[in-house]
Amino acid sequence: MPEPLQDPRVDQLRRQLRELGYLDAGVDRFLLAPAGGARGRISVAMRSSLRLGVLAAAMLGPAGAIGIAFRMRDLVTGARDALVLAAYFALIFFVVFSAAAAIITLAASFLVRAGAQFTTRARRVSRAAGWTFTIATLAYLTLWWRTANAGFSWSAPIWTASALLLAVAISLLLGHAARIATLGVLASSPAVPTALPAVTRRSWRLTLVGGAAAFLGASVLLLATASNESPVAAVPPLTVVPRGIRLRVIAIDGVDPHLIDPASWPAVPSSTSGVAPVVGDRYLLDPQDTTDPARAWTTIATGEPPEVHGVHAIETRHVAGVHGILPGDSTMAGRAFRTATDMIRLTRPSIASRNERKSMMVWEVAEEAGLRTAVVNWWATWPAASRGGIVLTDRAILRLEHGGPLDGEIGPPDLYASLRKSWPSLRADAERRAAAAFADISDPDIVTILRRSAALDATVVALTDALPGAARDLDVVYLPGLDIAQHTLLSREDGGAPAPSAMADRVAALRAYLAFLHDLLRVWLRPAPGEFIVIITEPGRVATPASGTFTTYGILPPPEHVEAPALGVRGSVSVADVAPTILAGLGIPLSRELTGHGRGILGQTNRYVSTYGAPFRDDSVRTGKPLDQEMIERLRSLGYVR
Amino acid sequence: MSAVPAFFAEYQSMVAAELRRLVPDDSDAAVERSMAYTALAPSKQVRAVLVLLCTELCRGRATRAVPAAAAIELVHAASLILDDLPSMDDAPLRRGRRANHLEFGEAVAILAAFGLLNLAYATYARSYEPALAARLAASTADAVGPAGLIGGQALDLLATDRDITFETLERIHRGKTGALFVAAAACGAAVAGGPPESISALTAYAKNLGLAFQIIDDLLDVEGTSEETGKAVREDARKTTFVNFSGVDGARQLARELCDTADRALAPFGAKANRLRELSAFVVARRL
Repeated sequence: MPEPLQDPRVDQLRRQLRELGYLDAGVDRFLLAPAGGARGRISVAMRSSLRLGVLAAAMLGPAGAIGIAFRMRDLVTGARDALVLAAYFALIFFVVFSAAAAIITLAASFLVRAGAQFTTRARRVSRAAGWTFTIATLAYLTLWWRTANAGFSWSAPIWTASALLLAVAISLLLGHAARIATLGVLASSPAVPTALPAVTRRSWRLTLVGGAAAFLGASVLLLATASNESPVAAVPPLTVVPRGIRLRVIAIDGVDPHLIDPASWPAVPSSTSGVAPVVGDRYLLDPQDTTDPARAWTTIATGEPPEVHGVHAIETRHVAGVHGILPGDSTMAGRAFRTATDMIRLTRPSIASRNERKSMMVWEVAEEAGLRTAVVNWWATWPAASRGGIVLTDRAILRLEHGGPLDGEIGPPDLYASLRKSWPSLRADAERRAAAAFADISDPDIVTILRRSAALDATVVALTDALPGAARDLDVVYLPGLDIAQHTLLSREDGGAPAPSAMADRVAALRAYLAFLHDLLRVWLRPAPGEFIVIITEPGRVATPASGTFTTYGILPPPEHVEAPALGVRGSVSVADVAPTILAGLGIPLSRELTGHGRGILGQTNRYVSTYGAPFRDDSVRTGKPLDQEMIERLRSLGYVR
Repeated sequence: MSAVPAFFAEYQSMVAAELRRLVPDDSDAAVERSMAYTALAPSKQVRAVLVLLCTELCRGRATRAVPAAAAIELVHAASLILDDLPSMDDAPLRRGRRANHLEFGEAVAILAAFGLLNLAYATYARSYEPALAARLAASTADAVGPAGLIGGQALDLLATDRDITFETLERIHRGKTGALFVAAAACGAAVAGGPPESISALTAYAKNLGLAFQIIDDLLDVEGTSEETGKAVREDARKTTFVNFSGVDGARQLARELCDTADRALAPFGAKANRLRELSAFVVARRL
């Protein structure tokens, strides 16, 4: 076909002709244009289906983006993300609808053969194809609305009715398009000697009646699936009953109960002042899957299972072109999908962060309640969102090493300058301390592994000690060194175990590390009056599944002196009970939404509020260079990611 | 492609036979010979073929539509006689022969034209049941009347030696050419009892095809020869034509687009409308 002329006179005439009713075929040009030529049915089916796919993409792509934005609130951070996601969804719907339309229309063309009943059959088959598309689209849009209307309670029937009406309209339009496309393909069959059945006005009456029925059906579906939905509750204020207790929570990863008696480690002093007795409890934690520390420790810190808190794995994914994060999926299908999308560069690895977390961690609740808090090196804490509390995120050490402007690694940001100033000496002290340890171990490789972990743990401890404002209500520290050492010493690439002869040396090395750790924490483990120490251990990545421990001890302030019971293992508690127990110990009411329960270990009485709400956000603009890649490399070197 | 499509022959022979039956050429009467002179002259019979194709496309039998097709051809022949008169376009040549009025005299030619016109309506009345005949007659009368051939010719006469707007030119073409194309399609579908949607699609086809046909006519007047077209060329020098507005290439481009649009209007009929597509392809490529 020759190229159209670029003559302005022709363009002008073309416009005038259109105004005069020419150059208008008066039929569904968009869908049936492919049938305008003398093409075969396969060609017409493919071309019409592609156009139907374009229609579906245009109408359902934005709906999909809105739906997923409500479902995965951290995936969409702005209009740009929404547009990119809408484009992705449009592509998906284009492919799905095009393929479905091609299959259905072609199948219809094979089902309806030439003959006396052609017109009747063609009418029925095309109508069935149309209604199939309508019902499928309507079901999708109705369930989409069920997800997306979280912002509107069910007391907003106008919104709901409007959304359903729109869904019905879109569904009917796509169904009608599918019907027309099917008729077009049927007409293209060379063996059919007769003309198409007309789309009569009676058909539109049927469509209207069907639309009303579809609306009713969608309403029923919505109500049936919305029984568990509840409007977003207002967050009540958190009133603290002061008990004069300060808590220092020490989380130690990699304490294998097969390696050391959980009833005896760490050793708890019976008295520190000679006057006040040390009181406390020690429980075993019910085993949980600790192969992924981000997931396991977020469960402990939030008191919620992964399905609720939203951190499923260390590795998450960034979708190309989107700032938000796609939560990880640890299922086999999820991993396969992740690998595939990585290969085509649709997604790229990222590390679990605060952005995808849906539940508040204990220090965040305490901060909301007005207590003074600090947390150091806990998983999924970056980017820091501080309302006065101190947050040294899991990327803080990396930032202090690299320097440069902050990218949410430390909060509040003005703390960065002082830490950065003292960082060289802190780091040097930590490395000196690590270098002095493990002198009696002969294997240099093992020593190297242990000292690397020791330097890391010593750095975390030194950073904590360097924080300003000594009298905080809650200090929380995560020590990963033992888990890193254990993982490096005991796991192998092929999944097997080291030889028995080598195993003995390595187990001995881990025991040596426990001794180092006990020495490193010696000062912390001796509570002052009014201070309680909370030690949480988990078996780490290698020893899972096994029990962790939950130890609380300290010196109650007057007048709460109690008889000091013997500190032994009293039983077991759920990992979800840790966070409520700590919160209740601080005098903070517990959220009724929490999965776990306050165990009364710290002698407190539980009080309740309806909810803690969602983690607060820090909307401040970050100017520093993101350390995403450096973080991945660091975790890879420590064996956390492959 | 400038030759008529091969399938034309079958339809043309049916229409020619009907025309010979309706307008015998062996009459002693001058007016009857004058009628036959133009009605039976060699012709492409595009409008008649359009009637038959539309009937078939709407699941009717072509043989049932032959009287209607012949009637449309009679109307067309009448319009040609009148169009060539000295008081009109004063054309000397038509269908490869001397114009009717040059052969039989102006008075007889006028009477012959009226004779052909009346014969067309009589053919409807005698060939179809009253309701259909009335419907066909109404469609044809609309195409002939002030909104059709007569109106178009009147505007055309007024436009000679004058600058006219594009809208006026379109009204002339719509009346003189398009109206009868549309009537042919509508009559063909009506004979078969086609549903309104089919008639609507076919009239959209005919409307676009009619204008394309006329644009090509204008082009042939500029580019063609009398041997090719069977009529005098450069006769439109005193008139504003499509070519004046768009140039030769632009006119051909727009004619092609109109034919493409006509083809798209056939989409609901699928491959069964291929003959109509061949017809539009012939129209846009014709040299005669």
